[in-house]
Amino acid sequence: MDLSDINSPEMQRFYSEEQERAMVNEMVAKLTSECWDKCITGTPGNKFSSSESSCLSNCAQRYTEMTMLIMNRFKSMQ
Amino acid sequence: MDSFSHSPSGSPSKVSAQDLQNQLKSQLAMEYAQQFLETVRGKCFEKCITKPGSSLSGSESSCISRCVDRYIEATGIISKALFSGQK
Repeated sequence: MDLSDINSPEMQRFYSEEQERAMVNEMVAKLTSECWDKCITGTPGNKFSSSESSCLSNCAQRYTEMTMLIMNRFKSMQ
Repeated sequence: MDSFSHSPSGSPSKVSAQDLQNQLKSQLAMEYAQQFLETVRGKCFEKCITKPGSSLSGSESSCISRCVDRYIEATGIISKALFSGQK
């Protein structure tokens, strides 16, 4: 492989796959951080209480729902 | 980077696309791990070291282990909540 091959179709495919992976990673990391702050209010225990784990899961789902709402709100302003 | 260096004769040294991809992948994995470590450190410092003393107490260290475990678990719960619905 020489330098021109770093832009080969095969490598392009690899880049977009990795880009997507990075985006997913970033989103999970951001949401985990936000929801951790909201849902885990006490000192971390040996396991999550059921209210903590359902809070985390709800938090992630509401966050995505909210993203949609905000996007629609912006769209309606155009 | 070594794999891109040219030999004196001018012919580029050969590295397969697979090698390059593997190399990039491991660099990315390192980067992700680094970021994760950074986040967990911040979160658990906040939770467990509320009043820094002259040394780390036993209860602080055990809080840190639990905090790390829970943060990893939380990451799993979040990604399941995001992606298991539509996959």
